[in-house]
Amino acid sequence: MSRAKITTAITLLIAAALSGCSSMGVEPWERDVLAKEEMQLITDPVEAGIDDHIYFSKEASSGGRGFGGGGCGCN
Amino acid sequence: MNQRFEIRARRVVSIIAVLFVGLLGSASSIATEPAFDVTEYRGKVVVVDFWASWCVPCRRSFPWWNEMHRKYGDDGLVIVGVNMDAHADKAQDFLNEFPAEFRIVYDPKGDLGKQYGVEAMPTTFVIDRNGEIVANHLGFKVKKQDEYEQVLKETLDAGKD
Amino acid sequence: MGKVKDKSVAISLAAATCTLLGTAGVSPVQAQEESKWDFNTALLYYGEADGRVQDGSFKSLAQRRFVDDRILSIGFSVDALTGATPNGAIPYDGSQTFTTPSGNSTYTTQPDVIPLDGSFRDSRVALTANWAQPLGRLSTINVGLSGSGEYDYTHFGANLGLTRDFNKRNTTLSLGLAVARDDINPVGGTPVPFSPMGDAVEREDDEDDDNRVRQPNRMSDQRKDVYDLVFGVTQVITRNLLFQFNYSYSDSKGYLNDPYKILSLVDATTGDPIPRTPEPGFDGADHEYRYENRPDERVKHSFYGQTKIFMSGKVLDLSYRYMTDDWNIDSHTVDMRYRFPFNNGSYFEPHIRLYTQTAAEFYRISLVDGTQPFTFASSDYRLGEFDAFTVGMKYGWKTRFGKEMSIRVEYYKQDGDAPADQIIGNQADRELYPDLDAIIAQFSYKFGF
Repeated sequence: MSRAKITTAITLLIAAALSGCSSMGVEPWERDVLAKEEMQLITDPVEAGIDDHIYFSKEASSGGRGFGGGGCGCN
Repeated sequence: MNQRFEIRARRVVSIIAVLFVGLLGSASSIATEPAFDVTEYRGKVVVVDFWASWCVPCRRSFPWWNEMHRKYGDDGLVIVGVNMDAHADKAQDFLNEFPAEFRIVYDPKGDLGKQYGVEAMPTTFVIDRNGEIVANHLGFKVKKQDEYEQVLKETLDAGKD
Repeated sequence: MGKVKDKSVAISLAAATCTLLGTAGVSPVQAQEESKWDFNTALLYYGEADGRVQDGSFKSLAQRRFVDDRILSIGFSVDALTGATPNGAIPYDGSQTFTTPSGNSTYTTQPDVIPLDGSFRDSRVALTANWAQPLGRLSTINVGLSGSGEYDYTHFGANLGLTRDFNKRNTTLSLGLAVARDDINPVGGTPVPFSPMGDAVEREDDEDDDNRVRQPNRMSDQRKDVYDLVFGVTQVITRNLLFQFNYSYSDSKGYLNDPYKILSLVDATTGDPIPRTPEPGFDGADHEYRYENRPDERVKHSFYGQTKIFMSGKVLDLSYRYMTDDWNIDSHTVDMRYRFPFNNGSYFEPHIRLYTQTAAEFYRISLVDGTQPFTFASSDYRLGEFDAFTVGMKYGWKTRFGKEMSIRVEYYKQDGDAPADQIIGNQADRELYPDLDAIIAQFSYKFGF
């Protein structure tokens, strides 16, 4: 994949995220469920690290996960 | 005399409204009446603080609001904590751990939140003695406590003749 | 005893990075449970069938909260590994003798089994440190360092992450960067690519070399640099539904070979390995084997989507990842977890993971005598074409004192095939691809104060 293609894809993604996503979502006080531990994108970082390491050692792919977002959205 | 009666009547109506909303809980589908009416506090400085049981910074703010209540209550500071939990029992668990020395009202449907335009949890509005919103802060930062207190002091001092 | 290593032992940047990028940020907390210190510890057992790799490890993550959501995280892990791993040679109906990587001795494998190198023992220690804090009201930053070491491999890395919230915090953009430098010091020295596996040589006392023997056809120690970038969008869809999409880019440069893996040189008609006679008076490889060679760069792109759905107390976690790279490997991963909570704070969580990958373009089951030599070739089964699945169960509970414990048991199976167009002669009768069966067992304990 060329660098130009990647840059374009990312730019479009950001634009879509900011505009298309601006109507989606909940009010700040409606995040009780999202604040729960089991609703975080990574519930257990140590377990996620263990799995990442096992599969990295045994397969040709690795990672992919990100960080940030979700949660109670406080402050 | 008339004025005092009016205030008392409003207070009674507000309490009934709060009880009404509180009793019905989330099953209520009745058209909403604001859980409290800020105009009943005309002449005082009112802090309206929107909080919820699942909000970690709210937990940090309660002891400090209690301190402000103790310090400035006699100067005319009124603190109203507006709880946004969908279920009052969650709010009660929180209050058992962090008792509030100030008034708590319940807004499970979020009507007050929408009315005030709450954009973060917690959010605090400071209303001066004339009923105008003079300040608001989004979130609660322990490091900004002195700053917040300064705003309260200034608002309390202003409009005092 | 020979010292042969599976690449699984080596923690490469990518693994450490992805761990860091994945663990960066605040450990989630409920309003009633904010503690100054949080510890997340786990004991892990990983064991493959048929005498292959076994790993026992202890991992821990300690987090110290400072005022206003500033967090210091320190991670520590130690692994003890043992067991055997396919060395890359092709099986045939005779026994085969190989020289160990240290060059000190030899080992012999039975007919009709995929050759596994001899037992090895190794330990690995890894450390990470990360600092996370808000940056203004709507952004966060985190910076971290990582390092790990084992007998023949050391890693050092640094990472940076940024997030920014939009739309009343319903949308979060995140950016992560990581760099690392790994040093590879293979036991017995780095073999020259495509050089033949030779004879076992007398051990020399050499203080500088730390008892390593210099065999012929060896190069100096090697190095690898890896650059990783992750860009993500997280979006709150409804009160009960969260979605994340990430694009990851990874560029590895330098020594990407597995220094212990070989390919068999086989007869063009029979497909059997060509015999070799060691030098008089020496033991050594009794067939022609060549050390592998991979390109010195690998660029990977990953596209990952994850959703979490809350349904009356139960939580579904579903994710998909597509990976493609310039070694021509494509992979798809689907991962699903479903958490059933019980009233007393305990839960039950079944898990299924499905994985499939295509082979690297230079994946070869053997080298054919008399044919045009390849620039790159490897018979490492991890670069081959295979399907895999994981099925597991986790049970978690809260102790009397409010601490959290959980146990998890999983079964992992890999099932691959040698490319049909590479199979020659007698190879067709044999089991050419080393399928994998493994058990993963984990006990975890979380507490804070």
